[in-house]
Amino acid sequence: MNVATFVAKNALRNGRRAFLTIISVAVSCALLISLLTLQRELTTPPESEAASLRIIARNKVSLAQPLPARQLATLDKIPGIVSVSPFSFFGGKFREEIVTGFAQFAVDPARFAPLMVEGHILAGTYEDFIKDRNSCMLGADTMKRYGLKVGDKMKFTGTFYPVDLDLRIACIYEGMVDDRNVFFHHKLLDELTGDPGTVGTWYLLVESAEVSNDVITKINKAFENTSAEVRAETERAFQMGFISMLGNVKLLIGSISTVVVFTLVLVSISTMSMAIRERFRELAVLKALGFKRRELFSFILAESFGLAGLGALLGIGGSWLLWSHIDLQKLTNGFLIYFEVTPRIMATAGIVAALLGIVAAIGPSIAVARMSVVDGLKTLD
Amino acid sequence: MSQEPIVEIRELSKIYRQGDINVTALDNVSLDIARGEFVVLMGPSGSGKSTLLHIIAGIDRATSGKVLVQGINVANLNESELADWRNQNVGFVFQSFNLIPVLTAFENIELPLLLTALNRKQRREQVQTAMDLVGLGDRGHHRPDQMSGGQQQRVAIARALVTDPALIVADEPTGNLDSKSAADALGILQALSRDAGKTVIMVTHDPKAASFGTRSLHLEKGEIVV
Repeated sequence: MNVATFVAKNALRNGRRAFLTIISVAVSCALLISLLTLQRELTTPPESEAASLRIIARNKVSLAQPLPARQLATLDKIPGIVSVSPFSFFGGKFREEIVTGFAQFAVDPARFAPLMVEGHILAGTYEDFIKDRNSCMLGADTMKRYGLKVGDKMKFTGTFYPVDLDLRIACIYEGMVDDRNVFFHHKLLDELTGDPGTVGTWYLLVESAEVSNDVITKINKAFENTSAEVRAETERAFQMGFISMLGNVKLLIGSISTVVVFTLVLVSISTMSMAIRERFRELAVLKALGFKRRELFSFILAESFGLAGLGALLGIGGSWLLWSHIDLQKLTNGFLIYFEVTPRIMATAGIVAALLGIVAAIGPSIAVARMSVVDGLKTLD
Repeated sequence: MSQEPIVEIRELSKIYRQGDINVTALDNVSLDIARGEFVVLMGPSGSGKSTLLHIIAGIDRATSGKVLVQGINVANLNESELADWRNQNVGFVFQSFNLIPVLTAFENIELPLLLTALNRKQRREQVQTAMDLVGLGDRGHHRPDQMSGGQQQRVAIARALVTDPALIVADEPTGNLDSKSAADALGILQALSRDAGKTVIMVTHDPKAASFGTRSLHLEKGEIVV
């Protein structure tokens, strides 16, 4: 026998309790990982190098307010801008779905092409998309999800606009930060809506990240004191602003996570206290045999740490396996795309479990350190 | 038997505080115990015999007086030094055996050796020797709940002597045993004292058990009366 065997035998002496403790830590760790992953999914927009080169200009009053199409001429004259395209959210319903898990945007295909910095055409041709006003460009994720192909028709019922779309898929794109969207001709939208002379937002590509701030300032200044003042910002800032409309998701999920961790701490402390209280006599005997406080503390810590560690291993491994093998995008109708359990999140759960093991061992260790051998033996005899 | 004192106790007192009252457990006790002696401490409940045993064994501290065991003043040792000292010099035998239920007999006996510098092989040899001494040769892999009371007490005695201590203290070691097992256990303690030169100090209420000792001391109200 060695010390490790001794600790292991003690930790597993009450099989049912050890099992329940390990499972409670595992489930809590899995829950914590799921919450942190959800928080990351909802609050961290997809990042790419190209995102820093793209700017979105919207109405300063609100995102819901359109901008005059005539602003394009002014934007074209601002130095540092490579390309500008109208970018209007259509918000249509696909087929009979209650919630459509991908967005449709009206763009100017010729002007939009340079904005697809990181994307490429997977099937069909972009030229076909440019030429045919009734066509669209579809994201690869949506294509796979619905089993669509180039040449198929996609019909959308308008919810923001009182018009419906009947689009032919001209090409499939992939490699963008979001490969679910549908892009179609703004001219078609104008035509269907009686050409109101407005766009939802402007989507721009700048020459380099260095000129980005300068371009933003110039855009904002260009439309100052006009009937439609604009607010230009980088794509990332725009996405963060969009996320903020969801409310304080971070606080909400953070609060739930804290409750989970707190409950976990209470369960573990209670379990360890029970386990040690039952063994006060044995620990007194160990002291009599010559084991010191620090050695007994090490035993208790190792036991507590071991149970928490096993639980963490199960919880972290289990949740990683679960979330990496489930098609969450399909299950949530496109609401959650990546739901990636990152090493950072797994490490966070691991650290929480490790701290838990330490915290749960402190109380019983103090009680054992304070206990005199004689008092410990008296509790039994 | 050598007459060299292994335990020298001088004017030893122990006063407990119970609420607002001071209770004198030991009152100015002086005593010498020679190496190889089998001393039996007897007396009514509350007479101070267990307290005296605990102080000699270094698991309790005196209020005043001096306890020298093999020339070392136990009172001067700090917690950590005292733990080491107990491991090397004292073997404990308890009334209720106090074996670790999840460990086998072999592992229970090996437990005090985990604190020594002995390697696995040396530990195994020493445990086997202790088991042979108490007649437990083939029961090493049994857990306490698979053994009788008498066998468990043999394991406890083997655990007490596995580190080869000079002093073995036994607090009512036969209290939970039938008469046959009690006689066996006492016979082992007697043999350890007589043949191996161990000093055994035993607390008991049982006059039959006391007859195995070389000297009996009676305590009453914290004083040695005989």
